[in-house]
Amino acid sequence: MRWSFRRPSFWQLVFIVILGAGLYSTVIRFTRGLGASTALSDAFPWGLWIGFDVLCGVALAAGGFTLSAVVYIFNIERFRPIIRPTILTAFLGYVLVIVALLFDLGRPYRIWHPLVMWNPHSVMFEVAWCVMLYTTVLALEFSPMVFERLRLERPLRILHALTVPLVILGVILSTLHQSSLGSLYLIVPEKLHPLWYSPLLPVFFFISAIALGCAMTIFESFLSYRAFRKRLEIDLLADLGKVTVVALAVYLVLRVQDLARRDVLARALEPTYEGRMFLAETLMGVIGPILLLSIRRIRMDHFGLFVSAVLVVLGFIMNRLNVSITGMEASSGVSYFPSWTELSVTLMIVALGFAFFGLAVKYLPVFPEMERLPAPTLVEPPAVAVLRRPWIGTTPLVLILGGIFFVSAMGSAYSGLQYRERMFAPATSGEESEPEIAEGLERFEVPPDITFPQGEASPGPVTFRHASHLNWERPNCTVCHHEPFRILKASGRGAPSPARDLHDERHCGRCHDGRTSFSVKEDCTACHRP
Amino acid sequence: MGGKKGLLFDVTLCIGCGACYEACKERNRLPRTVAHFLDDQLSDRTYTVVKKRGGRFIRQLCMHCEVPTCVSVCPVGALEKTATGPVIYHEARCIGCRYCMLACPFDIPKYEWGKVLPRVRKCDLCADRLAAGRPTACAEVCPTGATKFGDRQALIEEARARIRARPQKYVPRIYGLEEVGGTSVLLLSDVPFERLGYRTDLLSEPLPLLTWQVLQKIPDFVVVGSVLLGGIWWITNRRREVQIREREERKRRGASEEVSRDPSASGFVGPSQEEE
Repeated sequence: MRWSFRRPSFWQLVFIVILGAGLYSTVIRFTRGLGASTALSDAFPWGLWIGFDVLCGVALAAGGFTLSAVVYIFNIERFRPIIRPTILTAFLGYVLVIVALLFDLGRPYRIWHPLVMWNPHSVMFEVAWCVMLYTTVLALEFSPMVFERLRLERPLRILHALTVPLVILGVILSTLHQSSLGSLYLIVPEKLHPLWYSPLLPVFFFISAIALGCAMTIFESFLSYRAFRKRLEIDLLADLGKVTVVALAVYLVLRVQDLARRDVLARALEPTYEGRMFLAETLMGVIGPILLLSIRRIRMDHFGLFVSAVLVVLGFIMNRLNVSITGMEASSGVSYFPSWTELSVTLMIVALGFAFFGLAVKYLPVFPEMERLPAPTLVEPPAVAVLRRPWIGTTPLVLILGGIFFVSAMGSAYSGLQYRERMFAPATSGEESEPEIAEGLERFEVPPDITFPQGEASPGPVTFRHASHLNWERPNCTVCHHEPFRILKASGRGAPSPARDLHDERHCGRCHDGRTSFSVKEDCTACHRP
Repeated sequence: MGGKKGLLFDVTLCIGCGACYEACKERNRLPRTVAHFLDDQLSDRTYTVVKKRGGRFIRQLCMHCEVPTCVSVCPVGALEKTATGPVIYHEARCIGCRYCMLACPFDIPKYEWGKVLPRVRKCDLCADRLAAGRPTACAEVCPTGATKFGDRQALIEEARARIRARPQKYVPRIYGLEEVGGTSVLLLSDVPFERLGYRTDLLSEPLPLLTWQVLQKIPDFVVVGSVLLGGIWWITNRRREVQIREREERKRRGASEEVSRDPSASGFVGPSQEEE
């Protein structure tokens, strides 16, 4: 994770591979279109790029508004040391969400349209505006790091004066569209599985975003600690852990209450694909972390805190994917799994996030207090430092929870397989077992026979019988009446004129050509009955 | 002209001839997609299909809702409900977010997945023909009158009359009268609608109300939220200023007496961060 050209590390190699695959997929996406590059379809129009890149990307950046509210609005100064990396994460997160949208939109060059073409009834319209405005706010909140680096005093002073209004605006915008991402799904009550559809979706998305924002701040502080040897404010992070517990607990209570009130709580325990995914999500992302973080010893422990934060993050990524993908599969009638192109683009965007974060830390004063660190904390390699911690006490709990997650994950994977098999089975229900088609056709009176008079040099008159020309199993009047005998044609209708020769390929000869049916040239008496 | 136009599709009259299917393809200049029309699916190249379900032939096409979900969800207003009934698509506005496809309760809008610059495709109730005072292509060619074009209100009256005339035959329900707030395409059947594959679990109120209930609170939220946050900031900031001033004052009064009374080493302890 340290970017120096002299020593190409393992992570640099991984980054190069991911970037290569992602760029290749980018070329495919923009030269061959969405159909060729994604597993999306008419039945499943939103996939990984919306479910992960946008829904999770925005939520994972929620630390920005949570922490800036804590520091600037509630004036809790203790958290100031970790605000800059959090703002940076949020800013990068939003920029990358916009990048991901450029991949997902069918017409990415029109991404600015919501600016001038308004539809205030659309949740998407609101999300678009909030993301645009909040990205601007984040850019302004982030810019002091750049100005400080460039030693530009005047813009710094202006921004400093603007801080509080900016933060208030940021919090309002974040609240609006964190919840709006949930509101997006309010309009599909009959499509989204009842374990995830709720009138409270916006509230759930907002509260979980707060929990997630805190967990991401903890998570990224640990990464910074390992990658940049930054001091770890364990007491601050433990307090954030407490906030996480409160947010998670509120979320859990509301969620369970809502499920109970809508009478679908029991469906969580059904051995279905959705039930297992719901249990896995709730155990891993909510109940597990609440248990772990409530214990002071685990919360104050490096390993315990880190694992808890990771669980929250994973659990909520799972939640967003469940809302956007798992919960929508059954009603769509198809099974969606992202294509490798979608996966590699997503991986590339995540990798770019890490890379930009690293670059920013290297060149900008993201951790301004780093220089003031006492030297001894830097001596021990961080990996060893983590291992040395007294985390023995947390081991059993982590193992038990890990076991639960493993079992539920295996279970959901297994039932997921069964589910997919069911999905791919040919749809037979209701069609084959129904009464024969004749019932529908009973009312249908076949048009009367048409007798064409005997022409000159003709062996006899021709009587056309509709009944003998009809496939009673799969009637298709338009085979004849759309083109040759244009009765059922929207434009230029007209019955054939008996005065004309009907042998040609525009009339009887079209099918009586020797291939589809016997040829008009074969046996005249087949039709001409003297 | 006057009122809203619509279609009445009577399942009991349909003989599955496929004329509507072909007429739609012809009018919209769509390519041939399958050997037999009964095997076709709605797609970017097929705006209406005839299906054999429950021993009957049914039609699938855009229902042209009275309060269309697709129109409400489109962030750029690329879909529009016109005064005469059709829900039409403005290609030049569309950004390709596909929210209309996700949100449509009838799964009607389809996408040109094969194209680099795709469009949303669906039935537009032959809006241009309507403007010229003509019926839709599918209604014009229908040989049995199963698909009938007319004023929506008149069609509702006719549907009621048909049910009244033969109550033992028809399911006593006009599909599309109330579904998601009503549709311009109305259906009559002698077989329960769910057996024909039509969704019968739809709400009777327009779906856009579900999101509008939330969206309409935004202006209030912005105002109240800003004032509230500003107020909290003012209080906490004031408290901090007072604390700083008090500390300075104490310092000025003499270092000897305040050593043990200093609030805390880190200075300020604010309200708990759990408040939000």
